[in-house]
Amino acid sequence: MALLSISEPGESKPTVHAIRKRAVGIDLGTTNSLVATADAGKVQTLCDHKGHCLVPSVVHYSNDGTVMVGDKAVEKGSSDSRNSISSVKRLMGRGFNDVDYDLAYEITENADGGMPIIETSAGSKNPVEVSAEILKVLANRGEEELGGELDGAVITVPAYFDESQRQATKDAARLAGIKVLRLLSEPTAAAVAYGLDRKQEETVIIYDLGGGTFDVSLMRLEQGIFRVLATGGDTALGGDDFDRAIINWIISESGLDEKLSYDRRNAITAVARDAKHALSLDEKTEVSFENWSATLTRDTFNNLIDQLVESTIKACRRVMRDARMDISAITDVVMVGGSTRMPRVRERVAEFFQAEVHTEIDPDQVVAVGAALQADVLAGNKYGDEVLLLDVIPLSLGIETMGGLIEKIIPRNTTIPVSRAQQFTTYKDGQTVMSLHVLQGERELISDCRSLAKFELKGIPPMVAGAAIIEVTFQVDADGLMEVQARELSTGVASSVVIKPSYGLEDKDIEKMITDSFTSAAADKDARALQENRVEAERIIEALENALVEDGNELLDDNEIELLNEGITKLREMITKQDADAIRTGAEALNKASLVFAGRRMDSQIKSALKGHTIEEYD
Amino acid sequence: MSLTNRNYFEFFSLPKSFQVDADTLEREYKKLQTEYHPDKFADASDSERVQVLQHASLINDAYDTVKSPLKRAAYLLRLENIDPEEHNQSHLQEAFLLKQIELREDLEMLTAKKDLDGLEKMKGSVTSDRNTMLQNFEVCYLASELIEAKSLYNSLQFLFKLVDEIEAAEEKLLDY
Ligand SMILES: Nc1ncnc2c1ncn2[C@@H]1O[C@H](COP(=O)(O)OP(=O)(O)O)[C@@H](O)[C@H]1O
Ligand SMILES: [Mg+2]
Repeated sequence: MALLSISEPGESKPTVHAIRKRAVGIDLGTTNSLVATADAGKVQTLCDHKGHCLVPSVVHYSNDGTVMVGDKAVEKGSSDSRNSISSVKRLMGRGFNDVDYDLAYEITENADGGMPIIETSAGSKNPVEVSAEILKVLANRGEEELGGELDGAVITVPAYFDESQRQATKDAARLAGIKVLRLLSEPTAAAVAYGLDRKQEETVIIYDLGGGTFDVSLMRLEQGIFRVLATGGDTALGGDDFDRAIINWIISESGLDEKLSYDRRNAITAVARDAKHALSLDEKTEVSFENWSATLTRDTFNNLIDQLVESTIKACRRVMRDARMDISAITDVVMVGGSTRMPRVRERVAEFFQAEVHTEIDPDQVVAVGAALQADVLAGNKYGDEVLLLDVIPLSLGIETMGGLIEKIIPRNTTIPVSRAQQFTTYKDGQTVMSLHVLQGERELISDCRSLAKFELKGIPPMVAGAAIIEVTFQVDADGLMEVQARELSTGVASSVVIKPSYGLEDKDIEKMITDSFTSAAADKDARALQENRVEAERIIEALENALVEDGNELLDDNEIELLNEGITKLREMITKQDADAIRTGAEALNKASLVFAGRRMDSQIKSALKGHTIEEYD
Repeated sequence: MSLTNRNYFEFFSLPKSFQVDADTLEREYKKLQTEYHPDKFADASDSERVQVLQHASLINDAYDTVKSPLKRAAYLLRLENIDPEEHNQSHLQEAFLLKQIELREDLEMLTAKKDLDGLEKMKGSVTSDRNTMLQNFEVCYLASELIEAKSLYNSLQFLFKLVDEIEAAEEKLLDY
């Protein structure tokens, strides 16, 4: 290796012509998503033909099964909000009962589990499917840009995402046919985008206020290693809540009925959002809804949102505390997410951390930029020094014990990957099955924590009560996803673990959805073939019939005409049926049968052409 | 390098001892992480990836153990074939246990009175007791008085937990 890089002055270094891997970074946001790709440290965000890079995270389902994503879906949604699914990220890995806020579309509770199901006029959709539609569009952009199938993608998730939410994201990628190189936390991606790895030692706060989530992370950067020291935030706090503050203001100022129809609610949300965006630039803005209007000043707006901003500051304080670190240790504050454009937010963050806040990179794009850089490295396109990103588990992992209490097995902010073993024993003679309830959260009572999954350990060798010792190993990988293994210690027998996720999809569900989408893709292909063959057969019939009218009596005997007519009748019958292959074979047969006729017509045409020629010439 | 047959101190080129050189620990931990992080094996085969995942987990666990004085103490006892959790608190001296009950009552009272200063003071004194006890643990460990070391470890468990609880109470009062 060293020998290879020795080069004479003026001579170029030998280059290794490895095949470039096609990798993208995807910021799968609540409000907006974005895909970017990097080549040797240079990042490009990928846009559509109109130059729009942000893809609104909205999916529209039409009655006829057409699926639209992004701007087109938003357009559709203005008149058909029930079938336009926005902010689906908030439903990922969550239960029906977690949805305690208004949605412009209808959800129901999944029969076997608490998963929310979205009812569209194209049928029931689960959040994972909806996300997969967004991912497909982003992956397509990447494929078009890079000229082929993707080798992999880095997909970002809020640092605060619990296991089920991460799992749901990974499932969506699987459904979209994307190989996930890594689920990267959004703040880590933002830090990478800012190239903070080039610095020697930094202690950084990443403050990310997006459309539906708030994340604050404290990171330590030392000699090419990014380490998340602590994270906090709120998966249900973001720009939407700031919109809602304005909506509530409009409602109370205008005396509107709080119960608005879906479509009117959509309209008022758009008005509120425009006002909010305007106030990031101007001191006041005109707000009108239907035939009411008023002026909203930035001061009034700041009052409306103070509580929300304060709750983000509280989370910052908590993170500092978790890391046992003083605010003076912070060297950089990085602002991420569209909502950090609000002046009040910038002010309060700067005030609290007594530091300058970075906003140089577009806060909408910074996460995708970092993800792309990391995707390039993980795919194996090495260029110089790579950064190592060490993440932590954002919420403690524990199991239910007697009396509805939770016993923590892996405390929050533990560096991942991590594995911990815990021992259990049987309480009945001959017991062969044991169930475990895994939860995530900080509180003592299971009712305050999030249920992740129930595990059933089967195949425990029957022994007297208390004799069997089952060691259960909880493994959390670098993506924050959990796996469970169990072994009976005295006999060494491994017991099988059956997982029932609380709010997610089981493996078999996903397999089925993938097969379904393949079969439906196959069905689509069949339908297209059928249609094409029908058109072709009809074309052949029409041409033959015309020829028969023109030249049949002249060039064919009665028998021959009869045979061709029979062939036409047969093919007509086939066209009414669904068998694409039969239609094609029938059409080919008729074509063959008419070859003699076609030959004779050609002859006669040449003759008549020659005739014409002669006539012309001698006329 | 196989990690499986080494003790956690050896991972970081440290001697098996209660004293830990923090710089060496950090440096060696980073080295190992760089070598074994799953990200370095994004393209490897599944079985290789599983192995790397286990290695990386083990390294993280080793780091946590060596870094935390309480976990380190327990680990050192285990290496001497002493189960640190066996009959854990029952053999502690009555005076110590009574003192613990008293401290817990103090904590409750200060919390009820929302007395932040009082909590801060209490935290200072418990922390200093805890540090003295950590030194005592080291002395016993070095002198191979392992029974006494184990008993100190079990007392330390109380004190570490108490500090956590004081901090939790403070957090609650500050409404984090
Ligand atoms: N100029 C602005 N002023 C205030 N808020 C803004 C501005 N631009 C975008 N936003 C808000 O940012 C949010 C979207 O941020 P984004 O980072 O794209 O979200 P997410 O990461 O959740 O997808 C929306 O709530 C949007 O209203
Ligand atoms: Mg975002």
